Amino acid sequence: MFEQEDDIVERVIRQLRRPVSIDPGVDARVMHEIASDAAPESPARRPLLRSLPWLAAAAVLAAVVVARPWTRGGNGADAFQFVLVAPQAASVSLVGDFNDWDPARSPMQTAQGVWATVVQLTPGRHRYAFLVNGVEWRADPSAPRAMDDEFETPSSVVTVGGRGS
Amino acid sequence: MMLTALLIVAQVAAQDPRLERLDPETRSLVVAVVDSARAAGLPTEPLVQRALEGATKGAPGTRIIAAVRRLTVDLGVARTALGPRSTAPELDAAAAALRAGATPQLLSELREARQPPLTMALSVLADLVASGVPADSASAVVLALAPNAGDADLVEFRRAVERDISLGAPPGAAAAVRALNTGIRFTGADAGPGQPPPRPPSRP
Repeated sequence: MFEQEDDIVERVIRQLRRPVSIDPGVDARVMHEIASDAAPESPARRPLLRSLPWLAAAAVLAAVVVARPWTRGGNGADAFQFVLVAPQAASVSLVGDFNDWDPARSPMQTAQGVWATVVQLTPGRHRYAFLVNGVEWRADPSAPRAMDDEFETPSSVVTVGGRGS
Repeated sequence: MMLTALLIVAQVAAQDPRLERLDPETRSLVVAVVDSARAAGLPTEPLVQRALEGATKGAPGTRIIAAVRRLTVDLGVARTALGPRSTAPELDAAAAALRAGATPQLLSELREARQPPLTMALSVLADLVASGVPADSASAVVLALAPNAGDADLVEFRRAVERDISLGAPPGAAAAVRALNTGIRFTGADAGPGQPPPRPPSRP
């Protein structure tokens, strides 16, 4: 019985390993569509509604974070929503340059394991991380990592730009 | 005696209250670094934030001081390379780019090649290196994109490279191929001048 299953698995693997021929122009066309879709506004400044597919994808993964701007505030600051899917967490705080690395400033609210909060970000490069259960530092798996992790805990980076966005 | 006491009081009064989260010894050294940076005309907020990050993460004082000093040096190098009119966000991003392996020469070339602000270009450069793209390749690509690409284009470029890497492409090749797709001739380490362009990564 197991041999029969192994044979099926082998056949599936062989099918999956078969080379797939792709039109060499497909990549350029896809990138063109993406570029034309993104042109009117920065991908980093889309309304929250357009980031919902990200949230759907996040729900599939164990922990995925999405940071997307929400609304424009004063002093050139944008409101960014940060989301972390962490069903097992009892508490999550967003901590970074924008809140003086104070875990009490941006506690995240949860709905069925999806943690979220909104913070104002001014233009510039901001380092941040998530503090889970008050003890565990987590980087944002969907954002660039900060290279200068001199404190031996992971941090991520979000950059709020200006020109052409 | 009285003068010394007054100076100490003045220093404490001028000290950023946020730094009270540091232990007294670390705080006094961080304050000294911050004061010297301020006197040199460098932005001090990134230094304060680096110290606060260390405090929140429970780092030892020596490590916090070392991190703040190193960032001060990087900000100074960045300011020299980018010029005295550089903004604080530009210098902060440039410090990250330097840490990633960009050279001061590249920062100066970016300043010449691109209208300000340079914040996003510098940040994308640092992010590409963090994704595994060799520093010289990332530098070459960002410098080539800099004259005409908007911030949104740079962000999209970085995301495309990250997608390719997540699909298994070697980071240097991913950056090179994406650069070729934008129409620029890539001359980074993975495809030096005179070399044929790298093949696009095969898709599963």
